Amino acid sequence: MGFLDILLSGQLLFAALVTGALYALVALGLNLVYGTMRVLNVAHGDLVMLGAYAAFYAFSMAGWSPLLAAPLIAAIGGLAGYALYTSVFRRLLDVGALNATRLEGNSLLLFFGISILVQNVAAAVFTPNNQGYQYLSEIHQLGTVSMTGNRIAALLIAGAACAAIAVFLGRSVSGLALRAVIERREAAYVVGVNVDRVQAMGFVLGCGAPALGGVLISMLEQCSPFSGFPFTIAGFIVIILGGLGNIGAGLAAALLLGAIETYGVALTSANLRSVLLYGVFVGSLLVFPRGIFLRRGRT
Amino acid sequence: MKTSSTRRTIIKAAAGTAVGSILVPRAAWAQEAPLRLGFSMSRTGPLAVATVSQSNTYELWREQVNARGGMDVAGRKRKVEFVSYDDQSKPDQAVRVYEKLITDDKVDLLLAPWGTPFHIAIAPVLEKYRFPVVGNTAASVNVRKVKPGYIWFPTSAIPDRIGTELTAMLVENKVKTAAVIANVLPFTKEIKNFLEPELRKAGIEIRFTTEYPPDIKDMTSIVAQIKQAGVDAVLALSYPGDSILYARQAKELGVGSPFQFVAVGPSEPFFAKAVGNTAAEHIVTIAHWSPRPEWKGSQEFEQDYIRKFGQEPDYLNSALAWVSLQILEAAVSRNGLDKEKIRQFVSSETFDTINGKVKFDGVQNVITPTAFVQIQQQGIKLVWPKSIANGTYVPKSGW
Repeated sequence: MGFLDILLSGQLLFAALVTGALYALVALGLNLVYGTMRVLNVAHGDLVMLGAYAAFYAFSMAGWSPLLAAPLIAAIGGLAGYALYTSVFRRLLDVGALNATRLEGNSLLLFFGISILVQNVAAAVFTPNNQGYQYLSEIHQLGTVSMTGNRIAALLIAGAACAAIAVFLGRSVSGLALRAVIERREAAYVVGVNVDRVQAMGFVLGCGAPALGGVLISMLEQCSPFSGFPFTIAGFIVIILGGLGNIGAGLAAALLLGAIETYGVALTSANLRSVLLYGVFVGSLLVFPRGIFLRRGRT
Repeated sequence: MKTSSTRRTIIKAAAGTAVGSILVPRAAWAQEAPLRLGFSMSRTGPLAVATVSQSNTYELWREQVNARGGMDVAGRKRKVEFVSYDDQSKPDQAVRVYEKLITDDKVDLLLAPWGTPFHIAIAPVLEKYRFPVVGNTAASVNVRKVKPGYIWFPTSAIPDRIGTELTAMLVENKVKTAAVIANVLPFTKEIKNFLEPELRKAGIEIRFTTEYPPDIKDMTSIVAQIKQAGVDAVLALSYPGDSILYARQAKELGVGSPFQFVAVGPSEPFFAKAVGNTAAEHIVTIAHWSPRPEWKGSQEFEQDYIRKFGQEPDYLNSALAWVSLQILEAAVSRNGLDKEKIRQFVSSETFDTINGKVKFDGVQNVITPTAFVQIQQQGIKLVWPKSIANGTYVPKSGW
C-alpha cells in the first residue's frame, strides 16, 4: 500500500467528514447569532467547552450516555441563550439603531472579555485538568475503513442537526423570517417580521448548536477550560469562507475546511496545518471578501 | 522609574518603622510565627492544565508538615503557610512574582514554579538576591546553561539522556525499525533532535518521521502512515492532549507495533481514563519514579496523595515536587533559614528522597538514572534501567 492508497482510502475521507460536520455545527451557531444581530461572539468556542464539560459530568457522575444527554444539554444551552438574550441583548439592541451599530464593534471586545472570564471561572470550578471519558470506542470496519463508534455517532448527529436547522431555515415560516432578518434586516422589520422574536430564536439556536457540538466533541477529545478557543477560530474561518450570515454556504465551507485540514496535512505536513488554514482564510478574505460561496445577485 | 523607586523607598522606610514597632512586643513568642513559603504557579492560561499535579503535591506536603507540628527549622518547629501568585502561564510574570516574593512579601523560603521556561526565567532573580530554590519540574538540556549556585534540577528526564537511554532500551528489546512523531513544543522537539541520531547510530531504521503542531485535532493521516510503515516501535514524542489523540487513533486504525512509547501523559491518571485501560496497557513513558519499598516514603506518598485527591500522583511531576520539598526540609532542618548555608548544603550533600538518593553536581542531579515506566495491569512499573526496575517490559499486543 503506497501513500496514494492512503490518500484515496476512505479513512481520510471519513476523518474529513467528521471534522467538517463538527465545524459546520459549531459555525452554524456563530453564524446565526452574527447574522440576526450583527454580534460577533468570540466566546462561542467556550459554549462548546461548557457543552463538553456538561456531557463529561453527566457521563462520569450520573452515568448518562452522551447521546441521551445531548438533546438535554443542547436544550439547556438554548435556554441559557434565551435568558442571555432577554436579560442583556434585547435591551442593548433595542435602544436605537445608533447603539446597535456601536454594539457590533463593541461586541468583539465584550465577548473577548466574557471568553477570558468564562475560561478562568471554568478553570477554578472544573480544575484546569484535562478531562475525558470512554464512550462507544469499539471499532467498526467498513471495507478498509476502520471507525470508532463515537466518531460515527458524532458525524451522524452533527450532520442530522445541521440538516434539520437548514430545513427549518428553508421551509418553515419562522425560519424564513430568520433568513429575512439576516439578509434585509430593515426590510424584514417593515414587512412585519417580529425581529425581536427572530433574534431570540437566533440566540437560542446560536447557543444550543455549539452546546450540542461540545457534547459530540467530548466523546472524541479531551476537554479543558481552554479547549473551546480552537473552535472559535474554526468557526470564524468557516463563516468568513462561507460569508457572514450565509447559512447554507457556511455548511459547505465547513466541509471544505475539514477537507483542507485532513488532506492538506496528509499531503504536506501536520506542521503546516495552521499555515494551510489561515492561508485559505486570509487568501479568501483578500480574493473573495464576501465569502467564496457568495450567491449571485446578492448585493 | 526614579520617582517610583524614591516613593518605594519612602514607603519602605515608613513600613519598616511601623512593622518594627508592631513586631517588637511579638518578639517574645516569635517562634510561633508561621514560616512563609512563596512560589508562583500557572493557575490560569494554557499551562494551568499541567500544573495541578505539582500544586496538589505542595498542598499535601503543607498539610502533613503542619499536622506534625510544623517544619523543623534548625531544631524549632514552625508551621508553614504559602504565599502563592498566579503567573498566568507567562515566564515574565513568574520573574515579577519571585521579585515581589523576595523584596515585598519577604518570604522565608521559596518553592519552584512549574515547568522549564519558568525555572530558567527566575534563575537570575535568585542569583541577584542570593536566594536558593530547589527546582523540580524542569527538563531541558538548557538547564545546564543556568549558572550553578541558587537553583538545582533533580530530574533525570533530560532530552539528550532520554535519547541515549531509550535507544538502549530499544536495542535490548531487539527493535529494528521505528516511526518517530514529535510535537514541536520544546521538550518533545529536543528529545527528537537527540533521539534520531542515536537510533541511526544503533542501526535502527527510521521508516517514518514527522512533526506536528500542539493544536493538532486529527492524526488520521499520520497514524495511517505509521501503520503502513509496519515498524517494531512507535515513538510518539507527544504532550498530554496529543498523547490521547495518538492512542485513540492508533486503536482505531489498529497500529500493530509492539513497542509503543508515548512521551508525556501516560504517567498521569487521566490518560487511562481517556483512552481506556486496554489501550493504555503496555504503553511505555517517561518517569523515573515509582513507589518501591527501597525508596523510603515512596509508598506512603502515593497512598496519602490518593487519599487526599482521589487519584494517583503523576509519576514524574508529583514525585519531583515531593523530592524538592524533602531536600528543602533537610537543608532547613540543618541550617535554619541561613540562605548561604542552605545553598552550600544543597550543593554538596547527598539526600535520601522518595526517588532514592539525590546529589547535585552543579545544577544537575547526578545519581537518579534516566528511566522509563510501563503501564501494566492498570498500575505503573519502572521497567528501565534494570538497576531500579520493579517490573519487566512486556510488548504491547493490542489496543
